[in-house]
Amino acid sequence: MIPTLNRSLVAAFVVLFVSMGLSLFAEPKNAHRKAATNSSGAVSSDSYMGLSGEELWSNNCMRCHNLRPPTMYSNAQWDVIVHHMRLRANITGQEQRAIVEFLKSAK
Amino acid sequence: MKIHRCFLAALIQAAFLTISSPAAHAQEPATDGYVTRKEYEDLKAQMLAMKKELEALKKEKGEVSKQERLESHAVADVQKQVAPKQQTAESQVTGDMHKEVVAEAAPSLAELEASLLGTTKFLLAGWAEGMYEQRNGQVSTFSASFNPIFLWELTPKILFDGRLEIEPSGGGTNVNLVNAQISYLLNDYIAFGVGEFFSPSNVFVERFEPQWINKLPDRPIGVYHGVLPNISVGAQVRGGFPIGPTRADYAFYVSNGPVLNTFDARTAGTLDFNSYTDNNDNKAVGGRVGFLPIPGVEVGYGFETSKPGFQGTTFADLQALVQSVDLEVTRDSDLLKGRINLFAQYAWSHVDHAVYDPDGSLGFGPLPLTAKRDGGYAEIAYRPTKLDIDFLRNLEMIFRWDHLSADPSGLGDPSETRWTLGLNYWLSPSTVVKAAYEWDQPNGERNRNALFFQTAMGF
Repeated sequence: MIPTLNRSLVAAFVVLFVSMGLSLFAEPKNAHRKAATNSSGAVSSDSYMGLSGEELWSNNCMRCHNLRPPTMYSNAQWDVIVHHMRLRANITGQEQRAIVEFLKSAK
Repeated sequence: MKIHRCFLAALIQAAFLTISSPAAHAQEPATDGYVTRKEYEDLKAQMLAMKKELEALKKEKGEVSKQERLESHAVADVQKQVAPKQQTAESQVTGDMHKEVVAEAAPSLAELEASLLGTTKFLLAGWAEGMYEQRNGQVSTFSASFNPIFLWELTPKILFDGRLEIEPSGGGTNVNLVNAQISYLLNDYIAFGVGEFFSPSNVFVERFEPQWINKLPDRPIGVYHGVLPNISVGAQVRGGFPIGPTRADYAFYVSNGPVLNTFDARTAGTLDFNSYTDNNDNKAVGGRVGFLPIPGVEVGYGFETSKPGFQGTTFADLQALVQSVDLEVTRDSDLLKGRINLFAQYAWSHVDHAVYDPDGSLGFGPLPLTAKRDGGYAEIAYRPTKLDIDFLRNLEMIFRWDHLSADPSGLGDPSETRWTLGLNYWLSPSTVVKAAYEWDQPNGERNRNALFFQTAMGF
């Protein structure tokens, strides 16, 4: 009985997540990208998969935690932090460079 | 008679004058305007010598003056270089050189500043937390921890990251080494790491374990307290790569494996992941692959296979396998006026069939067992980041379900399912005050419901 209940709960959560995810992503993708660009205006020249440095910063960092403002750390500190986060989040070297470029230019 | 005395006095006076006059002449020989030839020659020689000496002095003084003038001109030229507005036509070339030097020096000031700090880059990061927990059936308590993270970027390709966990315990302070890893970036898609690191097979500990990131005061029992490894000591290779418009990531490692518990009835068949030294020559192999179909969504699968039995025992050839699936969704929604986070992870462990305490010498056998265990969590959080009111924007509501099955022997902890509701207030992007209530009902036991208050800060 208990294992059956647990499986049902897991299945319910999976269905819940998938349905919520689908409803959320039903919104126009451009709306998000427009907002990301308008918020600072700084778009990295080293874009990757069509995303600017700011969008990569927002998408990758916000998956786990709140975004910390670019002014919170020095350029050298951002170099170290994004290097560390590249290893933790498995982002590519191109993404790392684009994010660092954005963070330094956004100050 | 009187006349004779006057005459005699005059005569003596005359005699004195006569005697004294040659002496006077001897002391003032040229009083009469004439000198001897010898005196003339001596005077002439002295005058010529003095004249020569004077000429020599004049010449020496002239050279010194000339040198001083040259030096003063040189100083004036330097002053003209320093003050370009006063440049003359002659110093124009010098002025141009000055400009070049300044132009070259300007960017190098930053380099100079950097060089003063050294070529390596060091950062002390980390997080700290303080918590109050009141759990039914237990004594309420405050707790705290400080978790410094040391990051050294030796070169843009080489990084060391180390983390300590420091917390008061009993009458002292516990200090644990959580991470100590040297990593090397081979190229844009591959990185190597060696040392002690968070186990890539468990995405929760890799990404959400710090208390300023973990949205609730405690951690899910299913993935943090038993089924999956948290920390591994070994070597890993990891990275990410694009697949068309999507992206995938990976991490594979080899490490000292877990230890199979065989001596206690309650824990028989479970895996102890907190023993960081190996108990045999066989190494655990594990990893995780993730797929990001669209930005903000990732699904993953993690695993670790090992032989956890002690070398030389009947358990040495037992095979253990742990597996995990996970889902992470983060989305800013205009419709919901905020941000939604969905996190879910579920894990299973399996150890081959064995007979524990086969001769009964430990007091609980023989106990034949195929050890299976499972657990996981699902969490949803909402923060109204798009509202206009600051106070509301900083609030975040969280709901979590987490579960851990009973110990496989049936003699240990029962299965446990918890429901937790939390409310957070963000003082800054990395400082949060949390309040949560947890409904905790282990199967067949009285409830262990708990109230939490916690403050956590990332830095």
